[in-house]
Amino acid sequence: MNDMSPDGYTTEDGRSIGPVVMEMRNITLRFGGVVAIKDISFDIREGEIRAIIGPNGAGKSSMLNVISGFYKPQEGEVWYMGEKRPAMKPYQVAQQGIARTFQNIALFDGMSVLDNVMTGRIRHMSSGLFAQAIWKGRAEREEVENRARVERIIDFLEIQHIRKTPVGRLPYGLKKRVELARALAAEPSILLLDEPMAGMNVEEKEDMSRFILDLNDEFGTTIALIEHDMGVVMDLSDRVVVMDYGKKIGDGSPDEVRRNQDVIDAYLGVAHD
Amino acid sequence: MAQPSQATDGMDSVPALLQRNATRFGGKPAYREKEFGIWQSWTWAEAEAEIEALALGLLNLGVETGDFVAIIGRNRPHFYWAMVAAQSAGAIPVPLYQDAAAEEMAYVMDHCGARYAIVEDQEQVDKLIEVQEGLHQLEHMIYVDPRGLRKYDHSKLHRFIDIQQQGRAARHEFIDTLKARREKLNYDSVCVMLYTSGTTGKPKGVVLSNRNIIEASKSSADFDHLSRDEEVLAYLPMAWVGDFIFSIGQAYWCGFCVNCPESPETMQTDLREIGPTYYFAPPRVFETQLTNVMIRMEDATRLKKALFDHFMALARRVGPAILDGHAVSGMDRVRYALGHALIYGPLKDTLGLSRVRVGYTAGEAIGPEIFDFYRSLGINLKQLYGQTEASVFITLQPDGEVRSDTVGVPAPGVEVRIDPNGEVYYRGPGVFEYYYKNAESTAKTKDEDGWVATGDAGFFEEGSGHLRIIDRAKDVGKMADGRMFAPKYVENKLKFYPNILEAVVFGNDQEICAAFLNIDLTAVGNWAERNNIGYASYQELAGHPKVLDMIQDHVEEANRSLSQDPMLAHCQVHRFLVLHKELDADDGEMTRTRKVRRNVISEKFGDLVTALYDGSREIHTTTEVTYEDGRKGSISATLQIRDAAVVPLETAKAAAE
Amino acid sequence: MPDQLVWGMEVFLNGLMTGVLYSLVALGFVLIYKASGIFNFSQGVLALFAAMTLVGIMEGRVPFSHLINATFGTDIHNFGWNVPAFAAILLTMAVMVALAWAVNQFIFRHLVGQEPIILFMATIGLAYFLEGFGDMMWGSDIKNLDVGLPQGINATIDEVTYEIFGYGFFIDNLDLAATLVAVLLVIALVLFAQYTKYGRAMRAVADDHQAALSVGISLKFIWIMVWSLAGFVALVAGIMWGTKSGVQFSLSLIALKALPVLMLGGFTSIPGAIVGGLIIGVGEKMFEFLVGPMVGGATENWFAYVLALLFLVFRPQGLFGEKIIERV
Repeated sequence: MNDMSPDGYTTEDGRSIGPVVMEMRNITLRFGGVVAIKDISFDIREGEIRAIIGPNGAGKSSMLNVISGFYKPQEGEVWYMGEKRPAMKPYQVAQQGIARTFQNIALFDGMSVLDNVMTGRIRHMSSGLFAQAIWKGRAEREEVENRARVERIIDFLEIQHIRKTPVGRLPYGLKKRVELARALAAEPSILLLDEPMAGMNVEEKEDMSRFILDLNDEFGTTIALIEHDMGVVMDLSDRVVVMDYGKKIGDGSPDEVRRNQDVIDAYLGVAHD
Repeated sequence: MAQPSQATDGMDSVPALLQRNATRFGGKPAYREKEFGIWQSWTWAEAEAEIEALALGLLNLGVETGDFVAIIGRNRPHFYWAMVAAQSAGAIPVPLYQDAAAEEMAYVMDHCGARYAIVEDQEQVDKLIEVQEGLHQLEHMIYVDPRGLRKYDHSKLHRFIDIQQQGRAARHEFIDTLKARREKLNYDSVCVMLYTSGTTGKPKGVVLSNRNIIEASKSSADFDHLSRDEEVLAYLPMAWVGDFIFSIGQAYWCGFCVNCPESPETMQTDLREIGPTYYFAPPRVFETQLTNVMIRMEDATRLKKALFDHFMALARRVGPAILDGHAVSGMDRVRYALGHALIYGPLKDTLGLSRVRVGYTAGEAIGPEIFDFYRSLGINLKQLYGQTEASVFITLQPDGEVRSDTVGVPAPGVEVRIDPNGEVYYRGPGVFEYYYKNAESTAKTKDEDGWVATGDAGFFEEGSGHLRIIDRAKDVGKMADGRMFAPKYVENKLKFYPNILEAVVFGNDQEICAAFLNIDLTAVGNWAERNNIGYASYQELAGHPKVLDMIQDHVEEANRSLSQDPMLAHCQVHRFLVLHKELDADDGEMTRTRKVRRNVISEKFGDLVTALYDGSREIHTTTEVTYEDGRKGSISATLQIRDAAVVPLETAKAAAE
Repeated sequence: MPDQLVWGMEVFLNGLMTGVLYSLVALGFVLIYKASGIFNFSQGVLALFAAMTLVGIMEGRVPFSHLINATFGTDIHNFGWNVPAFAAILLTMAVMVALAWAVNQFIFRHLVGQEPIILFMATIGLAYFLEGFGDMMWGSDIKNLDVGLPQGINATIDEVTYEIFGYGFFIDNLDLAATLVAVLLVIALVLFAQYTKYGRAMRAVADDHQAALSVGISLKFIWIMVWSLAGFVALVAGIMWGTKSGVQFSLSLIALKALPVLMLGGFTSIPGAIVGGLIIGVGEKMFEFLVGPMVGGATENWFAYVLALLFLVFRPQGLFGEKIIERV
């Protein structure tokens, strides 16, 4: 295991990982009688790529929804930036700097790619409703500054050619990329990716992996992603949480997780008792 | 050999032209590039400063006179600067095709022994690292886009702006050397070395001097009255001689602005935003644009479609005449003007061609339908005939003498002759110096008197004096009965149908001609959608009986047209099949410039060729393919072979007479 | 017959200006429909309520005076002051924002995710409630509204047209002012929706709630904002119509004229609402002028609906409505 000092550690490829930005403490989530997440704790460090994996129905998506505030756990605490997070609405969580994508893509289909990505900047645009309505100069300046940042991201994700295209007309793979661009535009302190490779072919998966690695490298973005495709995740992530039937069965570097007997059993489908 | 031409006003090198432009109209834009959604621009003075900084940086890195500097990237100002900076520093720029595979690059890099490579991004750096083992002479790599390269070992890897920065910092140390190297350049010194893709064998390094480039640029610019105010969009491969002539030769000679697109995918949008006045595109680009227009018209409202059809018919009738300045009735002029307001104007604007004053196409024959379409809109589209070895220009069409089936008259200063077996020869100031490290090929191509063999067969048309090209000289073969077999001529006839993307015609030493065809996935796919034909892949669509029916109609129509030409009526296509895969440069079936490699194809698909001639109705075959990421795989299919109706030769003869 | 032609032009111009007012009301519908998928039947009543409130504030009326007097046996009707028009408009706007908040807080917040028909029914209820509530607050008498907009025949146009055609056009200054205000309002709204943070957020909420939440947009805030905007548009429409024909119940019926406008223009398109309004305005006036005399007049009552019906048959998404294209 890497050196887990409170200030962080250095990865094999020489990136320095910072202190813990988010910590889940003993989270339990129930839907009626069904326990989706059972007493799970783990942390996410600044600058790392953290994966949550597990077979279908393991509770990964539920965990992501807890982090992004879409679900409220019955028990447990979420610590963010060294403080315990009070009960929050999803939009407040987003405003705090936690951006996310969705497994089934949630974009604004009627709006252009540019407008979609611009919505990601909303949390950084400070002028109020009245300023926007009457104080043209300032709102305009803000719009221009934010547009410039968005253009960097458009360039980074290589979607310049569809800048003005309504999102609804794009093919699946590009939609996924636009959604990533929108989340990235928020300059989040944590970027949550919900099955970023779902439904992609090999080539698209490789592209997406490259984008994820590059953006982590280029912007130092902290990324938490969930995936059920084990192979992709192992190449990508610094540390991995493995879930099965709502419980945490492994946590550590990809190598450690690969050697973990419980993980091997879960993936090979050994019968549960 | 004729007396070598001399430089005008001491303008004897590209760096000298740069100095002149920066002094005389330094505030005028020289380069524009769209980046982060905005057009950034550099004036001639700014471009000179950028180039000087880079040249100093190269000297700082140890560039010696006569070194080769490989340049690998898409059209960006940085790489044009790199070409000029390399020459200023006494080195020779060698632009390479950026989509070439690593091994192809390795061959060229090794052949010229490049010590330096200026490349675009991680992708190119990775390719060179992959083949680095074999390249003993490669010392330094300079990249423009730092993305993903942060973690690489930077002992021999440098960032473009860092090199410029180092150059600026060491100015006092190297400026005298730079000046001295620039002074030494003259009309005879090497301006650039370009590798020809070549349909056979390994690429050859064509060495072009400043004389070649500047003389060719000067006379062609005069021919079309190009001025300082032209705007061009640089989007064709930088390794291609045409781009070097348009974006460096003519741009520096005239002093006009070179615009670089944001990315290859945005080319159409960028074209609209720039609205070039001088534009070159291969026939394929014009064809694709026309196909897109037609597809969109299919989806348009009935009123729009009716208007479009009405005014396009008018345009076809009177448009070319108006463009060529011939007499047209006043009424027709009024109607044409109305058509311009309603249809032609908006259409040209959509195509990004509304400001084009001089447009050229070359490289392949262009379909008469396509050619006339653009000309009828009032776009002055012309043809030229050229080669890397000629610094592009051999023949050009003068304004007012434009036709789709000729390539024009000899370019100013160029002599053209046809040898007895039909091959076209030329000589002039643009003729290349030699093939690098290949004296044998040089001698074979260029004789002591400076005449260069084009490898194309053609003839001068009686009356007009225009050159007509039939085919590659070596491809022109003989059929079993000894009559001329001109495959490319027939292939072009077939390819004029938007539904047919590629054609390969066989017939050498055979009784009859037969063909492989590729359908155009965009055009046929659209047709399939409109006709409710479902398909999951190219292969499935290509094998659909209804598609085959449609293609058969095209082939038979082409046969009827061929039968009109007494020279070539016997080349009608008797049997054909639609291939189960698209011919692809990655599989070696085509060159990077998308010319079919006949030998490779007939070898690789030998079983299919046999089937064409043994009368089978269908054949099962398996083919190896290379995916974009370099992995190999194979596809298999059962192909139908169709018989196409031909016009009997007797009838054809009677009709022709 | 040149006279006929000149009159026709006058009718056309008048139709254009009526159309602007239709557009204005239709705009209110479009805003709410786009952002929340609610077809707001109460938009007309909203205009009436806004106009009543404005008059009430300007004249210094005591709200709920009937109720107060009946309960406490008092006899107060007036504060005894008059509020200047500009201040009164601002105050009315504040009331409209409060109303927007209340509508969201007490009604629509509880109906998130319900069928459109349920939401529509809720707005019908809201319309009846507001009508009664307005009467209770400000009394049901017909009120005159004058916020200082120019009124009466425009002398310049009258003179100029007399010079040219030998016949002076009758164009009301109020109509001219209304046109100007409406045009400005529309431009402002389009710019707002396209190029500002809140405009973009509004469109985002209209498109996908989950995605909007994920970028930090508060749905509640946007809904209140949209209802406030609709209230603002209603106020402007209320001022125009109120000034023209008095503040009374019939004002709320202009909502019924907005319906065909929406069918023509498409429910989701701001430009559609404008063009639709103009077509109906001009169409019904011209039809009345040209065909009316032959069929006994009063065509204005049904023309718009017949036109809308034709559109429903031949182009159900309206002139500017989004063609629904789905890729799989």
